[in-house]
Amino acid sequence: MKLLVVEDDATTGAYIARGLREEGHRVDLIQTGKDGLIAAASGSYDVLILDRMLPEVDGLTMLKTLRGAGNATPVLLLTALGDVEDRIEGLHAGADDYLAKPFAFGELSARVSALARRPQALEVETVLSAADLQMNLLTRSVTRGGVALDLLPREFALLEHLLRRKGRVQTRTMLLESVWEIGFDPGTNVVETHISRLRAKVDKPFDRELIETVRGAGYRIAG
Amino acid sequence: MIAGVRRIWRSMPLRLAIMLVGLFALVSLISLAASYAVTQSSFEQTIRADLRQDLAGFRAAPNARAVALLIEAESREADPQRLILSYVAPGGRIYGNGAISRDDEGFHIVSFDRNRAEYAGEYLSLTDALHGGVITIARSRAEIVALRAVFVNILLISLLPTVLIALSGGLILARRSTRHVEVVGAALDRMTSGDLAARITPGPRWSDDLVQIGGKLNQMAGAQEAQMRALRGVSSDIAHDLKTPLQRLALTLEDLRGRLPAEGEQAELADKMQGEVAGMTRVFQSLLQLAQLEAGSPKARFAEVDMAQVCRDVRELFEADAALLGQTLVQDLPEGPLMVQGDRALLMQMVSNLVENALRHTPQGSEINVQLADAEERVVLCVADNGPGVPAAERDKVLERLYRLDRSRNTPGHGLGLSLVAAVAGLHEAELTLEDNAPGLRVMVRFMR
Repeated sequence: MKLLVVEDDATTGAYIARGLREEGHRVDLIQTGKDGLIAAASGSYDVLILDRMLPEVDGLTMLKTLRGAGNATPVLLLTALGDVEDRIEGLHAGADDYLAKPFAFGELSARVSALARRPQALEVETVLSAADLQMNLLTRSVTRGGVALDLLPREFALLEHLLRRKGRVQTRTMLLESVWEIGFDPGTNVVETHISRLRAKVDKPFDRELIETVRGAGYRIAG
Repeated sequence: MIAGVRRIWRSMPLRLAIMLVGLFALVSLISLAASYAVTQSSFEQTIRADLRQDLAGFRAAPNARAVALLIEAESREADPQRLILSYVAPGGRIYGNGAISRDDEGFHIVSFDRNRAEYAGEYLSLTDALHGGVITIARSRAEIVALRAVFVNILLISLLPTVLIALSGGLILARRSTRHVEVVGAALDRMTSGDLAARITPGPRWSDDLVQIGGKLNQMAGAQEAQMRALRGVSSDIAHDLKTPLQRLALTLEDLRGRLPAEGEQAELADKMQGEVAGMTRVFQSLLQLAQLEAGSPKARFAEVDMAQVCRDVRELFEADAALLGQTLVQDLPEGPLMVQGDRALLMQMVSNLVENALRHTPQGSEINVQLADAEERVVLCVADNGPGVPAAERDKVLERLYRLDRSRNTPGHGLGLSLVAAVAGLHEAELTLEDNAPGLRVMVRFMR
């Protein structure tokens, strides 16, 4: 993928760029909003990673200008610590996702991949599947290798989330945001517990593991 | 309505008007009374002089017979309402247009007409012995009596308009000043409730002193706002300045951790450092969030939130941890939804913090009970535990940021959880109280419906 990172702090920017390059992306790193705007408008990027606070033109203004000009490239906005208002403002200005600083690189990378492969038009799917696992969204039933699995509502939602994003890592925070709908970290192992319960039902009785743990990042179902 | 009347009644302009009217009335009354007294006495003197002159005229008569004739002649022309002439001749016969008699009730003047009517009214009389008889001349005081009515009229005509004008003027001024004071009061209310941008806008008809007070208050609010902004600026500057090094630290550590073997002493150290950085980030996040909550900014996003569902969701977040710690999470929730006006994310965080706090500060085997009840127009959330509790003297302090009980210095946590709870409760205008659960702590949050 071709990515644009606009980050005024050279050290942070360099780390992000290097990390993303190591994952096989092509990365352009720019330090000011003005240059960023020019680059974003001229280049064809798959995802833009914008810092909220930038010298000259800040990230939010940049984003608004881009959206105003009809540029629909997915944007991940990096914002200051815990700024609840920032998040709302950012999403309102047209950001597709939001990440509060300081973040772990794994989180950033997972969110960038999630953005890039966002389905353009949501088709109404009724059956999701991975290997020999099948999830019927209409009857809300799950079978693996023809064996019916009995899942609790939250386990079902968790599995559905992972299946819909097959092949993409989902971090703990992303799961808390989407499956539990909470924007803060409760500091508990609720995600781990549900993953392990889900594994006990989905993976344990079978020889092949579907739900993978990605060290230091999160979970995924191989695509 | 009654309160409004009372407020106007108690206002300065009206009281002043009433006091002035009273004083004016009193002075007018006294001066009128004095001039009445003077006029009355001069009238009386004139009458007495007339009486003496009358008497002198009769004295000129040579004998009783002549006096009787004179009296008869004059009394025929005299109006008994104004002048009574009476002469008791030496023989006992009474001449004139009336007879003076006296009984226990005082003097009476009786007419000589056939009906023997008594003349009403006040008279001044002069009696003297004359040629062996007794002569009495009485003149009516009717003019003096009529004077009273004149004076009362003067009083009414001069005082009534003054009183009416002063009172209505006072009332108008009082209502206006009440209105102006209300404007000032409303602005002050907004300032105390955290809206430091509130200002007093004086109207064109405001009195100068009120405009001056308003100006001074605005100045004060401006200074406070500037200070507050500077303070917030400092804290957000600090946060912004620390954000970058914290971000670098987090990324560098992550990079380092990636280069180290999965296990071993070095890996353990790196993991520990990453944990510390995560802890620092959490403290920062909480501090910044607190600042935002206290500024009251998320209020615009309030919607109907089902507190029962919030409690159920929070239970799910914590039940695995509680089980791991050997603690029990119990719930007592209504079957149906229980709605409050609020921000779901913040309410969720509030209940989470309360449960987390209870889990953290109670020993193994404790029971944490989350209750939700609908009580008299209020939704009452109660998170109770049967742990060691908080001493009564320290219950208020634990709500302060970064305050920790001595015995919990070594338990994890940063002393911001309950401050955040207090801030969220404050934002929702809910009443937060910490009570003794005997044993344990009971935190009650009472929401208005």
